[in-house]
Amino acid sequence: MIQVEHLTKVYGTTVALRDVSFSAATGEILGLLGPNGAGKTTTMRILAGYLPATSGTASIAGYEVHTDPMAVRQRIGYLPENPPLYPEMTVAGYLHFVARIKGVSAGDRPQRVEYALKSCGLWEQQRTIIRKLSKGYRQRVGIAQAIVHDPPAIILDEPTVGLDPRQIIEVRNLIKNLAGQHTVILSTHILAEVSMTCDRAVIINKGEVAGIGKLDELLQRLSSNYTYDLEVVGDRPQIESLLQHLPHLQQMTWHNGPAPGRQQLRVSSPTEIGADLANLLVQNGVQLFEMRRSRANLEEVFLKLTTDEPVAESSDEPEKAHA
Amino acid sequence: MLSVSRHGLRVLFANILAIYRRELQSYFTAPFYYVIAGVFWLLSGLFFLVVMTTIINQVAQQDLLQQQFGAPSQAVDVPKLILESFLGLLGSISQVILPMLSMGLYTEERKRGTLELLATSPITNWCVATGKLLAVLTFYTTLLLPVGVYQFVALRQSTPPLSPWLILAGNGGLILLAAAILSLGMFLSSLTDSTILAAILGFAVLLILWVLDVLAKHTGGHLSDLLTYLSPLEHFTHLTRGIFRTSSLVVFGSYIFLGIFLTAQSIDAFRYQRN
Repeated sequence: MIQVEHLTKVYGTTVALRDVSFSAATGEILGLLGPNGAGKTTTMRILAGYLPATSGTASIAGYEVHTDPMAVRQRIGYLPENPPLYPEMTVAGYLHFVARIKGVSAGDRPQRVEYALKSCGLWEQQRTIIRKLSKGYRQRVGIAQAIVHDPPAIILDEPTVGLDPRQIIEVRNLIKNLAGQHTVILSTHILAEVSMTCDRAVIINKGEVAGIGKLDELLQRLSSNYTYDLEVVGDRPQIESLLQHLPHLQQMTWHNGPAPGRQQLRVSSPTEIGADLANLLVQNGVQLFEMRRSRANLEEVFLKLTTDEPVAESSDEPEKAHA
Repeated sequence: MLSVSRHGLRVLFANILAIYRRELQSYFTAPFYYVIAGVFWLLSGLFFLVVMTTIINQVAQQDLLQQQFGAPSQAVDVPKLILESFLGLLGSISQVILPMLSMGLYTEERKRGTLELLATSPITNWCVATGKLLAVLTFYTTLLLPVGVYQFVALRQSTPPLSPWLILAGNGGLILLAAAILSLGMFLSSLTDSTILAAILGFAVLLILWVLDVLAKHTGGHLSDLLTYLSPLEHFTHLTRGIFRTSSLVVFGSYIFLGIFLTAQSIDAFRYQRN
């Protein structure tokens, strides 16, 4: 349904997107996940045909956004970062207007507007002037305008930003209900949003795709490292040479321990080496005071993927083993 | 574009109509436009009275002089003179009001982000610009309606009554002039998201048109001919005098088209430069 291939966007000298490729199948909810300024909005604007790409192609339902803009515009519903509302109009009046310019025939318009009002929980507010609506309701009107013409593809840029927790849940449920009949692409910088609403995610950072797939798998794959924190008393070079015998050992860092003579050691490995590690040390006379295994949680992996700075000490699954 | 099907044409009109209706609705809900209308009607009513009484008094005085001292007199078509002077004044009031009407046409869309909605809907920039221009022109024409009514009522009372065609031509000229100015003003408002800047630019363009008009009157030769031909104010003056030329229609039409064309182009360019 949605195909993005080698998309690059350059503003002057800054590269906003670099060779971004992904696709979304019909009926799927795809999340575009990344920190602010990663290029999510740019990607969505290109998809919606609002911005031209510098190179690469994007197509929706088989129509390329740049060469066939009108065909694409008929097939997309688009909610920009700020919902595009006319504050002086009533909710229903606004949706009728959008339906008109989206090419919904006069006969279908009442039903389509009714559907959009009801599915966004706006039925009671249809005669309200948009200016008088709260931010949450305005966001709903924004989503309603994106679905009023029953487009096969719906593009939502940060649909839950600025909403209170209850509204966020409502909007997420609404988006989930859209799946199946519609293909939805939504962008967010909140990881939980993707794990709750999306089938698959594209992690995007600094204009580049950092990973695509089912979120859990994606993050599992990307966060395959186990880290062990140890507190020991012993000779550093001796311990280091002992640890060389362990397979898959990736990293070893030393810190001074809290008590004099004690040292803290952090080792990481892609496999679980905890048992071997403990055996090896204890059998060779190293005094082991503490050993803790940790594995980065999703948020940390996401942070690691999208920032240059080292991840703060992880403590998601602390398992302490005192020897 | 060459082979627009009937369906395509229908969609085109439906789109223009959709924009037109939305724009017109927004005038009804904005206090600003009521203020504009109030001021316009107050001033135009006042000016009509002043123009009428001044001219009638002047002519009466001349008559008196002629009767008493036998001074030579010229035949004066009083109702026509009143119409011409009054329309000239209406033109001046309009030149103050028109940039204020056109300043918000696109700046508001840009500020609210609704331009993004329009730009991602299956509707061309041309349709949006045309719909907007027609709507603001309708608003302006509505302003002229009551003023037109009292022109008719008063000037048809003279003996012989003033030809209704003269009144129509003059007011039609006013509408054409307004359409040209609004069209250019719409283009200017598409350049910025500051409403004030759009208004200032609008007044600047009017100033240029005015200078053009003055130059046309005070230079000689081919340049003068060319400037006279290009000056919309000159064509407007002709129409208030009841002089109808096809060239006037062509010139006004060109300005209107230019405004719409530039607007459509600038909205496209805006999307390209955006970051």
